[in-house]
Amino acid sequence: MNKGLVGRLQIVGSYGFLVTLLIIVVFPFYWMTVTSFKGEEQMRSLVSMFWPSPVVTDNYRHLLGKTEFVAWFGNSVFVAVSSTFLATAIGTIGAYALARLKFLGRAFMSSAVLITYLVPPAILFIPLYAQIRTLGLADSLGGLIVAYPSFTIPFVTWLLMGYFESIPIELEEAAMIDGATRFGAFRRVILPLAAPGVLAAGLYAFTQSWNEFLYALVFITDVKLRTLPVGLSSFITGDVYGWGYLMAGAVLTTLPVIAAYIYLQKYMVEGLTAGSVKG
Amino acid sequence: MSISTAELGAKTALGPKREGPLVGLARMLGPDHRLGYLFILPTVVLVLALVAYPFCYAIYLSLTRKYVGVPPVFVGFDNYVKLTFDGFFQRAVVNSFIFTFGSVAVKLVLGMVMALVLTSGIRFRSFWTGVLLIPWVAPTVVSALNFLWIFDYSLGVLNYMLVKVFHLLPQGVGWLSEPGTAMASVIGVNIWRGFPFFGISFLAGLRAIPAEMYEAAAVDGAGPLLRFRHVTLPGIRNILIIVMLLSTIWTFNDFQIVYILTKGGPGGATQVLPVFTYEIAFGAQRLGEAIAVALYMLPALAAVIIVLARYMRQGRSR
Amino acid sequence: MDSRLKDLAEKLDTGLIARREFLRKAAVVTGGTAAGLQALSKMAGAQSQTKLRVWLFKSFVTAGNDVLEKQIQNWAKDRKVTAEIDWATFGDREQKFVAAIEAGNPPDIAEMQILGPMRYKAALRDVSKVAGDIASARGGMLPFADKAMKLDGKFYGVPRYSMTTVFYIRKDIMEAKGLKPPTVYDPGVVEFARKTQDVSKGLYGFGQTLNRSDDGNGFMQNILWNYGGGAWDKDGKPALATTFRDQNLKALQFAVDTITKQKIQPPGVMGWTDVSNNEAFMAGNLVTTNNGASLYYAMVAKKHELASKTLLVLTPGGPAGSFVGSSCYNWGIFQKSKYADLCEDMIRYMEDEERFAEYMKVSVGQAGPVYKKRTENPYWKSDPNFNAIMQNIIRSVPTGYPGPVTPAAVEVYAQNTLTDMAGRVVTAGLSPEAALKEAHARVEEIYKARRS
Repeated sequence: MNKGLVGRLQIVGSYGFLVTLLIIVVFPFYWMTVTSFKGEEQMRSLVSMFWPSPVVTDNYRHLLGKTEFVAWFGNSVFVAVSSTFLATAIGTIGAYALARLKFLGRAFMSSAVLITYLVPPAILFIPLYAQIRTLGLADSLGGLIVAYPSFTIPFVTWLLMGYFESIPIELEEAAMIDGATRFGAFRRVILPLAAPGVLAAGLYAFTQSWNEFLYALVFITDVKLRTLPVGLSSFITGDVYGWGYLMAGAVLTTLPVIAAYIYLQKYMVEGLTAGSVKG
Repeated sequence: MSISTAELGAKTALGPKREGPLVGLARMLGPDHRLGYLFILPTVVLVLALVAYPFCYAIYLSLTRKYVGVPPVFVGFDNYVKLTFDGFFQRAVVNSFIFTFGSVAVKLVLGMVMALVLTSGIRFRSFWTGVLLIPWVAPTVVSALNFLWIFDYSLGVLNYMLVKVFHLLPQGVGWLSEPGTAMASVIGVNIWRGFPFFGISFLAGLRAIPAEMYEAAAVDGAGPLLRFRHVTLPGIRNILIIVMLLSTIWTFNDFQIVYILTKGGPGGATQVLPVFTYEIAFGAQRLGEAIAVALYMLPALAAVIIVLARYMRQGRSR
Repeated sequence: MDSRLKDLAEKLDTGLIARREFLRKAAVVTGGTAAGLQALSKMAGAQSQTKLRVWLFKSFVTAGNDVLEKQIQNWAKDRKVTAEIDWATFGDREQKFVAAIEAGNPPDIAEMQILGPMRYKAALRDVSKVAGDIASARGGMLPFADKAMKLDGKFYGVPRYSMTTVFYIRKDIMEAKGLKPPTVYDPGVVEFARKTQDVSKGLYGFGQTLNRSDDGNGFMQNILWNYGGGAWDKDGKPALATTFRDQNLKALQFAVDTITKQKIQPPGVMGWTDVSNNEAFMAGNLVTTNNGASLYYAMVAKKHELASKTLLVLTPGGPAGSFVGSSCYNWGIFQKSKYADLCEDMIRYMEDEERFAEYMKVSVGQAGPVYKKRTENPYWKSDPNFNAIMQNIIRSVPTGYPGPVTPAAVEVYAQNTLTDMAGRVVTAGLSPEAALKEAHARVEEIYKARRS
């Protein structure tokens, strides 16, 4: 077959694939947004499905004015940022230890790092809540900040392990021959180089924390301390759904993370890239 | 990872030779044990306190008869034995397998195609990559509720489009009401949510393969299919394994999508293990058995993880 | 007493200002005189704030939620305690109960649904005395409430109000065809549906899902009873495929036929969740449906155009009569609470007839009576539709009927056993006999598990 034709077919096919996928990916969010601007009556009918008519801002006004949405947002930000910081910091040094340092038990730990994902959170949360309570962190955002790393650190660690291993060891050796300690080499040479990986890991941890529902539901009772996912689900009362507020809240909950990802996605790719270099 | 000779030489050449039990201990613990243990300590503490300890307690509970608010009564493997012969449990296992493997298989292919397309000569690559990540990034609760509304038979937009806009079908489809389509629908939503993870991981993996390898293969006369099989696949072997493993575990444990869309219905057609566990825990309040359901598949999955992890570590140290 | 001091004292009591600030500001007000200081120390000797943890259901009746909160806070202010209220939706509540009880820190007092006392009996206090006092001052408990809430002769929950399902009919369509409300399902509802529906316009005669949902479970339970069947016999033993086999088979066949044979239900009904029939009815796609009073509330509250065109009637029956279940929301006090007396006081306060009436009047028929006296409240005559609600409540029977309410009965219901049975016939192609047998095995298994 003519190479030019094949090449062109390939390009057309590629764009076709991407556009199709784009539509499938974006449509639910478009739908969510459109619904959030629809009034009660329009939602129950099939009139003007794809565009609000009229455009109604009641849902947003109710959400921001009459519910504690703003407080939920603040709580989610606080918890997500704090737990991300914690998870990334702990995961980074842990990953470095498993990737570079030699000590007894290292092989076992690096194989076991992903095993923690086997434990279904849907069951774990019952004894975990008892644990959190013993630590005196029940009904506080601190409980979430401490608990979230338990399911983000393994992935962060695994990601950064691969990343560290991709950095040539000669760099550290050179630093140490120059007189730096192991720790110094880590801090001054390795860490800056690993920035994309750390960023990718941080993004992952942030997303998981931002979207987490079950622990936030159970560990927190104070209404003012709720996070966004729990707050949103409170719009489903029995069999009367507040679709309008729900979708408005969903839009506002999803936007920040989407914005962050679109802006930072190339670091995400870079961060994951090195993690796979070794094989 | 192997120790470089320079490093080894540096460590043994300097420093006076001293023998004694402490040095022997230090040697056993490894040359970097001080910094190593220090760095790994926070992780270990956190995992032990918040994962291992509750997990062990959960294992213990699975060996008891435990109702809410009542102290547990040890019954040994009773719960597990009962489950093995329970038709409803068996059906949940089958459903879980169908759900997991159906979903992971499609996500694998979709992610791979996505990665291949994004590394070919297309423009606006950052834009595509960013946008295609979105489903993975949104809260699952929100997405599931969204799809519940989209799949609605009479007021949902999917049927509206199929029937009234594109005239593809005379009537809407009962997406969540027929057993076949219900399972397909929940799998579909899981795929929608999860494929970006595959895509972006493979994308990263593909970018790490040096272009020279492709050139060399092309020079040797290999066509695109052979190049894929002999350069691409081996090149991303490790990431392929890891991503499939993680996704299998996460998909297997996925609760929210199925619960919000069908609650396990109709007639138990989409009853997967996490939903089954949930019902026994909070519907029947039989915590011991609920945990046994959740832990039943664990040994098999753990064995797979350990084997694969070892396989990959060997690959790495080559 | 200087009003400024009183203000400050109130602020201190409700925790709005700290003690130090109180003393500082108060000293300014009194000018530090000896008398002032005396008065100060008396007020500052206010109780250390007792904190009561109260768990409530966030109901769709937003006005009711507001009234509840206001009343509780008023009571708390009166008693000089702090009430910390946790709102959870019906779907989220059980997980929180289980986790909290297991972790050893349940709330002091909680609003529970009908299955609550049975489920959490081990952690709840015996509130028979309070329940008895309140009931006797209100003409006694209605029989269904008494049966539903009494476990082993004791009460672990104090009944507050009841919600039930009713049969909704589009009055305008019915009258246009010159029909009357059906009183039995077969052939009444079937013929009614056939005569009133207009499939070409997307209007279906009957909308009742058999999917896992409250709607589905409620309907299946009712229809089995209507045919003289049920999952349990009068001694509380499994009876699905044994004692009541024939009756249950007929009931199951009927239920399934409404979807597969009679063509009176919309396609896709097996995929419905609890909200679907509400939406379908409000969109004008259904002539009849069974639902809790929540649908009526939603229409009235939103001033929906169909609100005035909707008629609520008693749930239709079958050969053995007409049966309906109801839920009984109640107050429970947890054993671990240090303030049991305070909690009992709160219950008495909240159940005071005037206060309850205030709550009931904004509930658009959601807060059904559980005590005889409350059935006489003129509110229930203010809307003709309320009559059906009340009648259904009064004659309702609890899960486990004709036997007692047992943990096994509660579990069989909560585990979607009945809806799964129907689902297996409609979607998996099982014969009704086979599905019945399969469900019976499940009931037996649960029964055995609960006995040991």
